[in-house]
Parts: sequence; structure tokens; C-alpha cells
Amino acid sequence: MLKDWLGHHHGHHSSRVHRLPAAVKLGAALAIIMGTVLVPWHWHGWFIAVASLLALAALFSRVSPLFLLKRLALLSPFVLGVLLVNAFQPSMRGSWLGFAARSAICLFTVVLVSNTTSFSRILGVLRSVRVPALLITTLALMHRYLFVLVDESERMRRARASRTFSPRRRVRWHMLGTLVGQLFVRASERAERIYAAMCARGWK
Amino acid sequence: MNPAIAIDHLRYGYHDGTLALRGVSFSIAPGECVGLLGPNGSGKSTLLLHLNGILPEKPTADGAVRISGEAITAENLDSIRRQVGLLFQDPDDQLFCSTVEEDVAFGPQQLGLRERELVARVERALALVGLSGYGHRATHHLSHGEKRRVCLAGVLACEPAVLVLDEPTSDLDPRGRREFKTLLQAIPATKLIATHDLEWVVELCTRVIVLDGGAVVADGPTLEVLNDEPLMLAHGLERPHILRHHHPH
Amino acid sequence: MHIPDGFIDGKTAATAAAISVAGLALALRQVRRDLPARRMPLLGLAAAFLFAAQMVNFPVAGGTSGHLMGGVLVAALLGPSAAVVVLTTVLIVQCFLFADGGVSALGANVLNMGILGAGGGFLVFSLVASRMKGSRGRVTAIAFAGWCSTVLASIGCAGELAWSRTVTWSAGFTMMTGTHMLVGIGEGAISALAYLAIQRTRPDLIPELAKSAKSAKSDRHAAPRRRGELLGYGLLVALAIAVFVAPFACPLPDGLQVVAAKLGFDQRSAGTAFHGVAPDYRMTGIHSAAGATALAGALGTVVVFGLAVLLGHVLVRKTVAGSRKDPTC
Repeated sequence: MLKDWLGHHHGHHSSRVHRLPAAVKLGAALAIIMGTVLVPWHWHGWFIAVASLLALAALFSRVSPLFLLKRLALLSPFVLGVLLVNAFQPSMRGSWLGFAARSAICLFTVVLVSNTTSFSRILGVLRSVRVPALLITTLALMHRYLFVLVDESERMRRARASRTFSPRRRVRWHMLGTLVGQLFVRASERAERIYAAMCARGWK
Repeated sequence: MNPAIAIDHLRYGYHDGTLALRGVSFSIAPGECVGLLGPNGSGKSTLLLHLNGILPEKPTADGAVRISGEAITAENLDSIRRQVGLLFQDPDDQLFCSTVEEDVAFGPQQLGLRERELVARVERALALVGLSGYGHRATHHLSHGEKRRVCLAGVLACEPAVLVLDEPTSDLDPRGRREFKTLLQAIPATKLIATHDLEWVVELCTRVIVLDGGAVVADGPTLEVLNDEPLMLAHGLERPHILRHHHPH
Repeated sequence: MHIPDGFIDGKTAATAAAISVAGLALALRQVRRDLPARRMPLLGLAAAFLFAAQMVNFPVAGGTSGHLMGGVLVAALLGPSAAVVVLTTVLIVQCFLFADGGVSALGANVLNMGILGAGGGFLVFSLVASRMKGSRGRVTAIAFAGWCSTVLASIGCAGELAWSRTVTWSAGFTMMTGTHMLVGIGEGAISALAYLAIQRTRPDLIPELAKSAKSAKSDRHAAPRRRGELLGYGLLVALAIAVFVAPFACPLPDGLQVVAAKLGFDQRSAGTAFHGVAPDYRMTGIHSAAGATALAGALGTVVVFGLAVLLGHVLVRKTVAGSRKDPTC
């Protein structure tokens, strides 16, 4: 499921929500999430208000509603797990709706913000609140190269699969283990070349 | 007038002792466009990495490499890198920022430009490569040809006197190759281009240097060297078709 | 194991975040000091690598598949501090970009997978590798440490969920740690296979092998610094366990029980309801629930360690050529 997420583009949509400054969106998102996690379940007003705000924002953002709802599916393993476990504990049975609702709201918020804000802008906001530079650089490089490495790993896997006729599990594990190892080696070699490219343009 | 690039008996060996470069010598005058040819493993990429001080790992002051008369030492690496713009073989290695404008701005930012000057420099560089308006695009969504052009813009934004390119047309489709050639022809800097693309060299470079086994085996006007079939075949190359059949263009 | 928003409450999220921030601060300081400039881009690339590697599916049984978490692998290759930075990066990107893991739960997720998983796992790796020398010892160490990292992370997760009263401790611990004791075997095996593959093609990327080439002079300062680093992570791991696990796993004296009840986490919600989902954790002849768990856990650990030693023997054949039996690839 994660693979088709990688195809998600921030898109070249432009909407009022897209154009809002990143700091505003992140600040609002943080407030919504923290509030939703902290308020007691019986404060129904909060949940209704927030849900309405999010629905409105989603509408203005022109991001496909189906796309947003599909993301909610990610929650299900944890929700189901907790549901299952608490089914055997009579004291806990009623509370799962609370978890599900809170999680859904927070998840929706994050998905909306991440689809209407470029990652570079998010990093810009983090930089302005004094997040350490080393962490920001690492985040930036990871974001830049994660698609590259995922592609590389897909190509390597396909090339291996084309030459593998043995379905034995032991061989497959060995192959996949060496694929992971090789992926690291390639990442490491690429990091060296990136360092050279950075130095070539004056980085110290 | 000092040559733009002067290489004098350059040697370089790997950690295991094998020599990648065995006493390479040549010089390039300002404004020249020179092609660097040679089979795989001849040491072309290694040679190019010496031109902005990335190699050797510990810079020596022996003057084996001089840019505009200045020998590369540990102290003047910054100034050398300002003068020599190096375009790497894999654009993904060089395009390490998430958006186009961030990447093109990287070099000028290191040079100390800020605000309006920086923005102007970036826009000028993007215009030079025909990618105006691409500033906000994410780098990993670009096509291969676009990536190469952004890399070129990133280097041009530093306004170098010398441009060094490592296999700039590998992986480009025919249109990409033609467009890149047109772009390079419009840039007045001194150019040294390592490439396998012999047809392209005929159209772009007035002079070629052939490297094989870490040594220079030929250095002369393009047509003279490329028409020397025995020489070309002896060093893992061949006479390009464009010279074999006398096409009008 | 990424906890979403809403499953842990405010106090849990805040406490976990506090410990994580301390761990991250320590890690950043160490990395700035120890990592040479030319390796700085490697942090970002290692994070991208981990993300890509986590998408590789390993066939387990029937239609199920497992995948790598990778904390211990990165720690064994780049050191524990770099691993903490890398894992934090991965978790932040997964949280913001892929909504995998909640924003309020970020502290808890970093604590579980970064500090307990990578940090704690690395401590195990260090310990085992220093006692069992050679390539075989390192493979055993990384396989066992991989398992430990998964189990430690799941224990932390269970503790946080119990603190938040999302699930009871007994149910959460049984479910989470029970399943992750199995999942961890995959983690250990994959980490070992990948580590060995890297050692075969680029032994210079393995710190232990690269170190032996360096002079003794540079090692004089490295050893006490490394010990200090390990002590730092050890303390954080111990703190996390003391805060999130110990109150449930160990019976508290009465006074503390009262305090614990006031603060919202206590034995009563855990101790009596032990029948839970997996009654086979109880062993005949042992009355205390905690005792039974501890014994079962200890046995499981010994068994897995034995498996790790076996894996080391199987993967590292002492032939001259190196790999007669393994398929060449």
C-alpha cells in the first residue's frame, strides 16, 4: 500500500489552502492535534467544530476526497488491534470509539497539511523554530533521495526476479538480504558523490 | 595570458597502487572548447575530479594543475571552485536539493549572495538553460534532460570561467542532446567535455584530447584526430559516422 | 509499531517525548563531534536507505510477509548516535509525509524504535560482539541484537499504551511483545544477511574492520568517548523501562501503589486480569503471573540467542574461498 502513496504528488493544484503560509498550516495542525488528544471525550463541541473545520478546509483545498479517505485506512490495523484486545476486557470495551475518532481527526489533519504544503516549506518552518541544522539537512536529503532509492531497490528486485527460478524460501531470504546490503552500499557510494558535488559548489 | 587550464605531468594512483593517471600534460586556452575522449577506464573522470581540487584527497602544492595560472593548494580551494564549474555524470548526485530553485541557489548562496541578488542570479541561470518558471518544481519529478539542465543552471549560477562536463549526453534522447549542444554553444566559458558521443564532439569541439590507460595518446584538432582511423581503433574508439559519410550538415 | 495519534494520552506522550528529546540531543552532539564532514550526507542517505529497505517484503508463511525495521543494522554500520538521528529522521518523514505514526506520538515512536530499538539493540550488539570475536561473532551479535531491538521496542510500546489506559498492561504486553518476539526473528535474520552482504563487498564500511586499520594513537581518545556514549544510551533505555514498564511488570510496595494510582497507572488494572488472550504464558507450578512471564521471556531469549549462534555458524563458513555453499550473487 505504501508504494502507491509514493506516487502521490503535492500536485500542481493551487487553492486557497495551498497558498496559506506553511507556518499557519503547521501551527493550526499542531493545535488541532494536541487539542484533540487532550480534550475529554465528553467535550462533543470540540470534535464537531474540528471535524467541520477540516471538512471545510478539505473542500477548499480541492484535494480529491477519495484520496483523503483512502489514507484513513492506514489507521485500521491499530484500531482493529486495540478493538480485538479490549474485546476480552469488559472494562475497556466502550472506549474504542474515542480512540478511533481522535485518531481519524488527527490523521486527516496531517494528510491535509502534507498534501497542501511542500516539504521544503515545512523544513523552512522547522528551521525558523531552531530545529538543529544537522537534523534539517538529514531530513532534506532523505526527502530528496527516498524516491531515488526506492526506484533503485525496485530495479534491483526486478533484475533479481528475472534471474530466479528457484522458489525456495531460503534462497529468497538470502537474495533479499543481499539486496538490502547492496542497497546500503549504493546509498553509501552515492553519499560520497553527493559530498563531492556539494564541495564542488563551495560547501564547507 | 595564462592558459585557462594547465596540467603538467599529473600522476594519480589508487590506494592499491594502480596508477589511474600517468603523467598527463596539456593546456587549454581561455575560450577553447575541448573534447576529452577515451575508452572506459582510461582515467577521464579521475582527471576531471582533479580540476577543482576534489582529487587528490590531500591537495599538494606541486602545481600539477593550474587554473588561470594559479596552482591548486589546500588554501585556495574556494577560489578554484568559484572558477571551475564541474558537471557530474549522474545528475541525481548533483541535484541534492528538493526543489529546482533551492538547488540552483546552492552555489551562489555559498558565495555569499542573499535576497534579491540571489533570486536574480537563480532566474538568470534558469533562463540560460531554458527552464524559466521551473523554480518551484520538485527535483525528483523532472525528466532526465530537465535534470541535466538544472545541474547546468546550478553550475552557471556560480558564473565560472571554466566549465568541465563529465559525460553530459549519456542517457539523453536525441532532442535532449541537440538542445544541450545549443545551450553549450551559447556559453562563452572555456569548456572541457569528457564524452563518448563522438558525433557531438565533431559538432561542438575544435580540439580533442584522447586519453588511454591514464596517458594522453593524442591531442589535436578534432577532424584531424577523429579521422585518424587506426589511432581511434587502437584506443577503443572509432571514426564517427558523420565523418565517414559526407553529409551536408 | 508506529503508534497513531489518540492512542496515547497527554502525559504519556509528553514523558516519552522528553526522554526522546534527551536522547536525540545526545545523539546530535555525538554525531557532530565524531562524524567527519565527508560522511554527513550519509545520514540523509542512510535514512532514505532505511525507508527503501523497509519496503522490501520477506516471505514468511502462506501469504504473510515481514520486513525490516533496520535500527540495529544502521547502528552497527554507523554507530548508535548516527542511528538515533537516522531513525528519528525516518520517523518524522513517515509521520508528516505518509501519516504513519501520529504527531503527538512522535516522541513515543522515537523512544520505542530509536532509543529502545536502535540504542538498546546496539548495546546488545556491542556486548555480544565484544565477547564473541570474528565475523561469526558479529553475525551472531547482530542477529540477536536485531531480535532484542524489536522486543524492546514492543515492550516500550505496550508500556505506553498501558500508561494511557488504552489497553491493560497484561493484554497489551501479551499481544505486542508476544507477536514481536516472532517478528523480531525476521529482523535479526535480515539484519544479519544484509550485514554479511555489506561485509563481503565493502568491508571498509564495517566500523570494526575499518578500525583495525587505524593506528593505536587515534584509538586512545575514541575508547573512553565510546564508553561514555554507550553509558548515555544505557541510562536512557533504563529510564524508559523504569518509567513505562517497571510499574506494571514489578509489584510495587504499597506506598508507591497509592502514588501510582493517583497518577493514573497502577498494578490493579494489570495484575488481576492476567487470563488474557494467551493463557499459555502461565507455566504449571508457578503462581505469580509476573514470575511466569519473566521465566517464559527468559527462556524465549535463550532460545533466540541459540538460533543467532546457529545462524552465525551457517552463514559464515570457514572456507578459504568464503562461500562455497551460499549462492553467489
